[in-house]
Amino acid sequence: MASLSATNIHKSFGEKKVLRGVDLAVEPGKITCLIGPSGSGKTTLLRAMALVDLPDKGTVKVDETTYNFPLPPEVVEVSPAPWPKVTAVFQSLFLWPHMSLRENILLPATNVNAENAEKDLAGLCKVFEMEEFIDRYPNEASGGQKQRAALARALILNPQYILLDEITSALDIEQTARILTKLGHLKERGIGVLLITHHLGFAKAMADQIVFMADGMVVESGGPPILQNPETERMKAFLHMVEAVG
Amino acid sequence: MSVFDILVKYYPAFLGGLWVTLQLSMIIWASGLLLGGALGIAGWRSPISVGIPSRITSFILGGIPLLVFLFWLHYPVQAMFNVVIDPFYTAAFTLGIINIFGVADIVRGALDDFPRQYLLAAKVTGLTNKQTIFRIQLPLIMRQITPSLLMLQVTMLHTTLFASLISVEEIFRVAQRINAQIYRPVEIYTALGLFFLAVCLPVNAIALTLRDKFTRNLSEQ
Repeated sequence: MASLSATNIHKSFGEKKVLRGVDLAVEPGKITCLIGPSGSGKTTLLRAMALVDLPDKGTVKVDETTYNFPLPPEVVEVSPAPWPKVTAVFQSLFLWPHMSLRENILLPATNVNAENAEKDLAGLCKVFEMEEFIDRYPNEASGGQKQRAALARALILNPQYILLDEITSALDIEQTARILTKLGHLKERGIGVLLITHHLGFAKAMADQIVFMADGMVVESGGPPILQNPETERMKAFLHMVEAVG
Repeated sequence: MSVFDILVKYYPAFLGGLWVTLQLSMIIWASGLLLGGALGIAGWRSPISVGIPSRITSFILGGIPLLVFLFWLHYPVQAMFNVVIDPFYTAAFTLGIINIFGVADIVRGALDDFPRQYLLAAKVTGLTNKQTIFRIQLPLIMRQITPSLLMLQVTMLHTTLFASLISVEEIFRVAQRINAQIYRPVEIYTALGLFFLAVCLPVNAIALTLRDKFTRNLSEQ
């Protein structure tokens, strides 16, 4: 079955073990929400699954292609390249500052579908309500505008899997709601979504799978009901804390 | 005798001095930008074998006054090796070395500090290596280094005046010689100052404009 999966992923930074044998699978057309306290290894896992920060040990599978780690010493890059079939939008959006938002979106799009890139962009502009600011440079755009442009840059590539790392962390409630609502469209388009989020309400409403991480491990996973009835004390404590701060 | 009269009367001498200054500057600029650029890239790619020795050399050079370095290469070194080298070449070599290490520092620093996240974004959006280098890395690095490089080249133009102290017949020495004949320091050095202003101010203005424009755009957030 097609999926983006990580099996027994280990990753350390110096002496610190950040991921300790994590397993996770993202299926096409489904939203997986990754939740957990800061420092639990969520972002490291997302980067490992995006194959940009390679794991020390474990396996990442993108549909039929398997990447085993560690790579042989003489190999520094995964092959075949999984991008942009797998793409990611990071917490800091990394829009190229010397290009307008339009150019940021069109440059990678020309590699995928040069003929229809402009048309696809027009469609995304409509969906994300970007017509007004699409020709601005990143430093001239607001946080929410940049967020939408970064998401559009990823979506115009027609990815099969999109990994989103707290993309709404810098936004106000209204903008967050607007962005998260758009993620429903991805599901409809058959895109597999892995989303790191602290918005449990969104996770409850939209996610197909919720994965709770702590201390570099998956502690608990399942459908949205686990948010109401967590099995582990660790997840109960986390949800209690989240509820306490609203 | 006005500034204009002096310029008219002594223009062949001034032109000769100007030509020497320009030749000297061209050699310093070209060697600095080409060799310094290459050294900076090499230092970034091979930090241990090239980068550290280059930084140590640059650090030591930064601790030696330019004039001492110039005189040292002009007098003791030539005496030690029992050779006599045209002071023009000694000045070009000395100032060229300073510029090479200055440019290398700027280039290596920009490469070291290049925000890796932009390369990460290029990777996950499937840009080719060629696109990443020519559409992302190079334009951003050029924006970062161009103002500093321009300002360094203006400074190097200023330092060519030191060449007069080892008898290079550049424009400052010509001005000194004319002044020794007619003793009109106000007019002569005013003319010289105006010449340097005319050359350096526009370059400085461009450098400042580029720095304001590009460094602001580099900060995405």
